[in-house]
Amino acid sequence: MRTYDIVIAGAGSIGVPLAWQLGEKGFKVAVIDQEASWGRGQNRAAIGGLRATHSDAAKIKICLESIEIVSTLEERYGIDNEWYQGGYLYVAYTEEQRSAFLSLLKLQKEAGLDIDWIEPEAVEKLSPGIRREGLLGGTFSPRDGFASPLMTNTAFHKLAKDSGVDFFFNTRIDGVAMDGDKVASISAGGETWRAPLFVNAAGAEAADLASLAGVDLPIHPDCHEAGVTEPVERFMEPMLVDTRPDAESGNYYFYQANTGQVVFCITPRPQIWGRDKGSTSSFLPLCVRRMLELYPRLRNLRVRRTWRGMYPMTPDGLPIVGYPEKAKNFLQAVGMCGQGFMIGAGLGKILSETIASGGGYASPAGSTGYGFVFDELACTRGFDHVELLK
Amino acid sequence: MSRITSHPVLPIPEGRKEVGFSFDGRPATGFAGEPVASSLVALGVSRFSLHPKDGAPQGLFCANGQCSQCTVLVDGIPRKSCVTPLVEGMDVRTLEGLPVLPDMDAPLAQAERRAIHTDILVIGGGPSGLSAAYELGRMGFQVVVADDKEKLGGKLVLQTHKFFGSEEDCYAGVRGVDIAGKLEEKLQKLPNVTILRNAPVVAVFKDRKAGVYKDYSSYLLVEFTAMVVAAGAREKSILFPGNDLPGVYGAGAFQTLVNRDLVGASKKLLIVGSGNVGLIAAYHALQAGIQVAGIVEITGRVNGYKVHADKIRRMGVPIHLNTTILRAERGAAERGAAAGKGGARVARAVAAKVDDQFRPIPGTAVAYDVDTILIATGLASCDEFLRQARDYGILAVAAGDAEEIAEASSAMFGGKIAAFALAKMLGKRIEMDATWLPKRDVLKSRPGDCFSRSPVMPGPEWRPVFFCSEEIPCNPCTTVCPVSAISLRPIRGNIMDLPYFSGDKCIGCMSCVGICPGLAISLVRRVSEDAAEVVLPWEFQADFPVGAQMDLVGQDGTFLEKAALVAKKKAAKNKTWLLTFRTGLANATSIAGIRVQGPEATEGEKLAEAACVDADALVCRCERVTLGELVQFIRDNDVRDINQLKTLRVGMGACGGKTCSQLVGRAFRLAGVDPATVEQGSQRPLFMEVPMGEIVNEGLSSLGGKDAGRRGAP
Repeated sequence: MRTYDIVIAGAGSIGVPLAWQLGEKGFKVAVIDQEASWGRGQNRAAIGGLRATHSDAAKIKICLESIEIVSTLEERYGIDNEWYQGGYLYVAYTEEQRSAFLSLLKLQKEAGLDIDWIEPEAVEKLSPGIRREGLLGGTFSPRDGFASPLMTNTAFHKLAKDSGVDFFFNTRIDGVAMDGDKVASISAGGETWRAPLFVNAAGAEAADLASLAGVDLPIHPDCHEAGVTEPVERFMEPMLVDTRPDAESGNYYFYQANTGQVVFCITPRPQIWGRDKGSTSSFLPLCVRRMLELYPRLRNLRVRRTWRGMYPMTPDGLPIVGYPEKAKNFLQAVGMCGQGFMIGAGLGKILSETIASGGGYASPAGSTGYGFVFDELACTRGFDHVELLK
Repeated sequence: MSRITSHPVLPIPEGRKEVGFSFDGRPATGFAGEPVASSLVALGVSRFSLHPKDGAPQGLFCANGQCSQCTVLVDGIPRKSCVTPLVEGMDVRTLEGLPVLPDMDAPLAQAERRAIHTDILVIGGGPSGLSAAYELGRMGFQVVVADDKEKLGGKLVLQTHKFFGSEEDCYAGVRGVDIAGKLEEKLQKLPNVTILRNAPVVAVFKDRKAGVYKDYSSYLLVEFTAMVVAAGAREKSILFPGNDLPGVYGAGAFQTLVNRDLVGASKKLLIVGSGNVGLIAAYHALQAGIQVAGIVEITGRVNGYKVHADKIRRMGVPIHLNTTILRAERGAAERGAAAGKGGARVARAVAAKVDDQFRPIPGTAVAYDVDTILIATGLASCDEFLRQARDYGILAVAAGDAEEIAEASSAMFGGKIAAFALAKMLGKRIEMDATWLPKRDVLKSRPGDCFSRSPVMPGPEWRPVFFCSEEIPCNPCTTVCPVSAISLRPIRGNIMDLPYFSGDKCIGCMSCVGICPGLAISLVRRVSEDAAEVVLPWEFQADFPVGAQMDLVGQDGTFLEKAALVAKKKAAKNKTWLLTFRTGLANATSIAGIRVQGPEATEGEKLAEAACVDADALVCRCERVTLGELVQFIRDNDVRDINQLKTLRVGMGACGGKTCSQLVGRAFRLAGVDPATVEQGSQRPLFMEVPMGEIVNEGLSSLGGKDAGRRGAP
């Protein structure tokens, strides 16, 4: 029998920074993961973009917090995580894109996001060599950026360990014992774990874990492939996002990392549901063609590696954060829809603060001002709103 | 450095077209079509780039397209120079730091996806791949062989020595470079086999397609039903300070430069490791006119065939057992210089004796003035495609070194056996020759026991004397003898047994002397009361006249006497010189060979210290991560998963972990972690970098064409 204040299932993008921030606040925390080490679920497949450019206030708030934490890791703790504040640039080549981006600006600005429409000349200045033909401009959010998900998660793991958090790897959770509408204990790795509070941060495995506690979560992973090139001298600043669909794909996006490498990813069309992480032969010819159509200069850039990861999707593209009715002490921090890396640090801060201030089923925000986050992302919401920038 | 303009075995091609190019703005010349890397090495260039992390000079390392250490700027674009053919007018430059992406902003001209279909994809056209493709082709399968080189044969084409094994089964007594041609010739007669040359496979995808980087300039998908992975092996690196200096590289890279591209890559070198690869590298060096300071071997015994080792010792190369390399140093003028300044190449290798824990013994260090250190400490299977295929549930078999590291002779059998195994899996009702499996097992055997031979008295008639005392799979002396006077003494009952002269029928034809891959047979006869004639094989330049005095040595290289050459002839079939000496009678049957280099080549300078700071050794060459940094990181972060080393960028470089994956275990051990408890690293395509424009085939105007092959095209 092991007893903790809080047991977190999942040592990934969400679980590790949350554990650190809880550890810092004096909680006795255990993190359990079936993988051999931290960040080995989908964090390893994240491409590293970190934006607060979303279409709803909760995610904007969470990600502004994330940016604050991730961008200052080196300054505050001396841990390099290859943060680069290049901004996000959603380019518009069609009138539909332009009006969609413009229509979001008011909400985004009200939520505290630094973002504006920029003209084609400014787009070109930020990304020299980008296709000018048909370019109408774009929305640019200069405080967004990118970092290495691997190094960032390693940093959080180190900070968590230093704050007293215990990690248990190669440990699979195989049972949840209920006591009425509360989780009494979980079994994992042949042991029983008790705690007043459990957290589901199991990423792509989250729905399976929740079901052990009788909680149904509408989370279904789909697969995306990504790639990285050789490093070259910096030639572009922002993450470029092209939201135009074509016959085989939805949007695609790429940025030049702090190391000089270009990292890229595309949304297949139709979406490929499931957990298969094998690389396909169609990804490179498709994604590379679209990138070259947008940015011909990339033709001489060598692709180094490709991989594939899962986006644990919810019906409306928003995370699920909160305490379910059937398991009132089982905090869900799941369904990140491929954005666990950008959400994790900020969500960890918000959740740790709400827990520390007495947050729970009845009043998840405790005495903090984060009520709107829980309202918007609640397990019990209708899932009928659609996130426009998912 | 220089070009090799004469070679005892390899023909020097005539009429090669010399072309002009520029290196760092200075005019230079090289041969059209040779790898730019070889042109540069021939010009004496050691420094190909300066690493973006710390400005350290980067030199040629694998010469095989696998790593990226030889990257230079070619017409403004970074290219691996070892796989980039030299073209008239090229502007070649040292790459300093990160390259600048050229602002070639013209819209994408075109994008096309090229694909061919086949039953079986064979990855690798070496001895096992060619053998497998031949058998599968004969069974009627459509076969595509994809090889990363222009010339098929894999490492066979680098081998100037005669092969062990048996004549009947695997061309024993024939030089590797000639075996390659024979295998290719057979394969080309099969119309259902398509050969893709200069076509490295860069990825195997889950949808049963392989990405092929055809001619290092276009991207072809090969859709297949099943796969033979015959991708060979890559050389293991080892850890010592200075292991990253230009001039430290694998024995295979050296063979490529010297034997394939005929570049005098060194004046004098030291070899680390006494396996067959290291032993043969010494022989190749001497043939190319390069001095060998010695071979160091950390264990207490020679790792390769004794017959190879004896041969190398006779040539004048010492093998230092219980000895390790401590470090590689740059030249004195450069030693104090900041990284990145100066011509930075190995100028000195320091070795020392080790104790039974393999720790250097203080006071035993010796420095050798060499410009090159060859690492020959073992091979690792290139099995990444096999693992990928198995992960995806794709039908695949491995053959040759990709299956198990062994000699090329066994790889040829391994290829045939793999072909039959695969055919059965594909539903062919077919039976393999029952003798193949046992033959392959014999051919891949480790050496067996050593036997001492009874002294032989020279008589008036010719007779062979054998300096072959260790059981290895080899018998061409028995099959070449026209009067069947040599036979194996049956102890094991296979070709591991040792040959003996079985009578008095020797006609002095010298065939056995000429064919023996170990150069371990002499012919002897008494010509007077106190003199004898001894026939010895010689595989070096024979530009000395009859009458010349030469140093003759015993089986292990001990000097016996100076003797006069009385006759010389060249065995046309295998290009081995047969030299007849008049010697004293007493030594005649002990004389086993002729010294090639004198002791002055192998002298070192004794040093008073034996300090070894392994922490400075580089584990990851691409990203320049040292052993010390890794050990610290593993301790600080409780690392139990190789994937976490990517935080330090280990394995994230251009090569994809091909070299460092063999070395990280040491870091875990030093950090107090049992490597067996550590999660293995994951591997991802691509296994070689491909430019985006070439992935979409922007430069190609139409489908089909020569590379897809008529038969392979859909």
